[in-house]
Amino acid sequence: MNALDVAKAALDTAGGEAEAVAHIEHSGLARFAGSEVHQPTLIENTMVTLRVVHDNRAGVATTNKIDTAGLAELTRRAADAAESSPPDETFPGLAPPADPPDVEGFDDETAALGPGDQARLAAAAIDAGGDVPVYGFFTSAVSELAVVSSTGVSVHQRMTDATALVVAADENGSGYAEQTAWRASGIDPTAVGREAAQKAQRTRGATEIDLGSYRAVLEPYAFADLLDTFSHDSFGALGLLDKRSYFTDRLGQKVFDEKISIADDALDPRGLPKAFDFEGTPKRRVQLVEAGVARSVVWDRATAAQAGGGAESTGHAPPAELRDWGPLPSALCVSPGDAESVEELAELVGDGLYITRLHYLGVVHPREGIITGMTRDGTFRIRDGKIAEPLVNLRFTVAVPDLFRDVLGLTNKVALVSSQNFYGERYPYGVMAPAVASESFTVTGVGSRPGI
Amino acid sequence: MRAKRADFGPLSVRDLCAAAVDAATGAGAEYADARVVMKRNQFVATKSGRVERLSDSESEGIGVRVLLNGAWGFACDRRLSADGARDAALRACTFARASPAKHSRQLAHVAPASGTHRTPVERDPFDVPLAEKVAQCLEADEAMAGPDILVRQAMVRAQREHKLLLTSEGTEVEQELIECGGGIECAAAHNGVFQMRSYPSAQIGSSCQTGWEYVDGLDLIGEAPRVAEQAAALVRADECPSGVMTVVLDADQVAAQVHESVGHPTELDRVYGTEASYAGTSFLKPDDLGSLRYGSELMNITADPTTPGGLGSFAFDDEGVPAERMPVVEAGLLTGFLTSRETAARIGAGNGGSMRAEGWNRMPLVRMTNLHLEPGEGTLEDLLADVDEGVYMETNRSWSIDDKRLNFQFGTQIAWEIKDGKLGRMLRDATYTGITPQFWGSLNGVAGRACWRLYGSTICGKGQPGQAAHVSHGAAPARFRNVRVGVRS
Repeated sequence: MNALDVAKAALDTAGGEAEAVAHIEHSGLARFAGSEVHQPTLIENTMVTLRVVHDNRAGVATTNKIDTAGLAELTRRAADAAESSPPDETFPGLAPPADPPDVEGFDDETAALGPGDQARLAAAAIDAGGDVPVYGFFTSAVSELAVVSSTGVSVHQRMTDATALVVAADENGSGYAEQTAWRASGIDPTAVGREAAQKAQRTRGATEIDLGSYRAVLEPYAFADLLDTFSHDSFGALGLLDKRSYFTDRLGQKVFDEKISIADDALDPRGLPKAFDFEGTPKRRVQLVEAGVARSVVWDRATAAQAGGGAESTGHAPPAELRDWGPLPSALCVSPGDAESVEELAELVGDGLYITRLHYLGVVHPREGIITGMTRDGTFRIRDGKIAEPLVNLRFTVAVPDLFRDVLGLTNKVALVSSQNFYGERYPYGVMAPAVASESFTVTGVGSRPGI
Repeated sequence: MRAKRADFGPLSVRDLCAAAVDAATGAGAEYADARVVMKRNQFVATKSGRVERLSDSESEGIGVRVLLNGAWGFACDRRLSADGARDAALRACTFARASPAKHSRQLAHVAPASGTHRTPVERDPFDVPLAEKVAQCLEADEAMAGPDILVRQAMVRAQREHKLLLTSEGTEVEQELIECGGGIECAAAHNGVFQMRSYPSAQIGSSCQTGWEYVDGLDLIGEAPRVAEQAAALVRADECPSGVMTVVLDADQVAAQVHESVGHPTELDRVYGTEASYAGTSFLKPDDLGSLRYGSELMNITADPTTPGGLGSFAFDDEGVPAERMPVVEAGLLTGFLTSRETAARIGAGNGGSMRAEGWNRMPLVRMTNLHLEPGEGTLEDLLADVDEGVYMETNRSWSIDDKRLNFQFGTQIAWEIKDGKLGRMLRDATYTGITPQFWGSLNGVAGRACWRLYGSTICGKGQPGQAAHVSHGAAPARFRNVRVGVRS
């Protein structure tokens, strides 16, 4: 059965006011370490989530037992959950039917990749590491999502995605590279392995620097990670309603440099396109920041109903099981700038830091957008407008709004950086970001030298 | 207590596992194991008087791991049928065969095990009606209402994991692990200052492998007014000062510190670099065993999968290795790693015992089980009494540590200044930073057994594809000298 059949079967079993979401994963991930595959994982699964509504009482149950008995049990548990809940007068009802936009995002060749292909493409990345041992993976998958409901919603999408990710590292250095696309032919594991290994070679002999504020260039990997973490509190409607978003009381105000424009655009074929959210509401492009001015956040039906005042879902409902997280962006896209290359950004910086990638970000203060973390796998000094000697991994603690308040430049190309770490069911998403040069990046500690 | 095999349904799960192992060895695997796992989760969350989430999820399937020509392969299938078991086994072999090993892989010897285990419970969490769970949350939620309180949240959860492991070496073990937990949290704001306060811990409270008596014992409703009062007070509190000073951490924050700066770096797969592409590596080397000074003589860390109530407790790990308590740091000296059979063989010490998978569709990884800082002596007041000037910090709020687990920065929800051995004014936005061995080297006081608490976390991430492990840490308040406090952006 495809996802639509599974969802319809669940809805038919439930009867009454209900919504069923089916999610199918067919994936392979060839993970390697020390230049050999050590954790190859093949996953086959079908999950179906049923949301039953009785008099404004909603209950959710999920199963991967999709036979008749399994779906009957699913209905019983969802109904029990609904009956156990007091009525919620703010419940906006299930989504009305709407035609989803036509999006790309499925590729037959990618869907056809099997374990032999995944191992072969992992081997290509491994071989490209040369003398530098490599750690990472090649993965590809087919995911299907279908939403049907008693209100007439009936939508279905098949998606493919592929990622090659490499950390090249020995005792003296480390480098990183990654490519993600919905067409496996759009990524080059050999180039990924080579980029990581070359970066690793350049990090040997890393030195420390003084703590303080520096100008800095952030590669797309670092920029995307920082923006994704910032978005969890600040770009979703729940963060705004709960007043933990940096955008609280700032919508309509200039918050970043005018070079910064950020949208959430799941329709963009350069990303990992999605047609609808987990309520079946069509995806919309949402302009979050326009020329430095805070414009909007993303919404689902529950937060729109809570907010009132004409707020509408923008197609960002999370899975019902995670609805307490609220709507979150999953296709962030930063508008590019004019710089031809990261070298040109380094010229703009003159004296500062060059940062490839970040590690283990933690939100120190959500309302102020303060985030701490470490740099990793390629941190360099910029001197006289050139990328210069390697640095040890650095601890930074930055107010993201400060980082974006005075932007020196952005590259004229964006890269798609995967944001998913493949927890739970496969749902590919990422951030499209250029490299950025900022006036202010605060180093609050020094760590170890790059390397294994 | 014996697990009830009938819970798996009419299919003979044991036969499915055996069929999978037979199919794998028939296809050339020199080793194979098959795990059938059935997991059920309930989660209730309320927010400011409304039910925010009420979910009941279940998932089941079979995961087959093979070692073929020295290469690992893993595949899984949700179908608990002969076809599902065989398909998973053959696909695991295909993947292993396509990924040739460059080095041979040895597994530490383990005698074939058989047995069953079930978490002892007084009241099965799944016997507690959802309506009772909702009422418990709503009452705690309501008890946090007050001036300046913006958002009130209460949550309870329950999980049952029933699994059977069968290996080609003759191991056959069946376990039913039951856990539950809960917590409350509220946010306050005043004049643009935003603060949060949680109990008993941030991030979905705390959980325990036991019955619903644990959630009742948390007394979320009774604690709610204090939590709200502290949140409201925090928005008017002074910012924590910066400087190098003595810090006393509550047991919750010590547990977080143990997790990040002792638990992860002592996972031997990280030491060998097999997590380098995601979670990171370790500052430790295999040769450090028995010689590396990790901390002061007051530092005693134990890995103990036999801890009653621990989320990392079991009778056998997911390789069938019997649970065993093991010292990791003794009097400040590194004396143990967390291992799998493969990494144990590599280092030539032990036989594994820390391999756990999130579920049927993930490969087992080296994970923390229950990792404790052993108690010292005295009380929190005794620790404070010996501090002329410093800060006492409570309840983790933020955490970050580098890929080698050396440079860390933590923040707590609340703090108080310590003056002349007594707590003074409340402080907000407290953070501290350090380097792991130096920090643990500055440990100069751990409170005693009466202050020792077990915290259970369900959000420990590792692996690609990602896996969230459930782990517990026992800890007591502890005192550290010369800590850098108050990191500013």
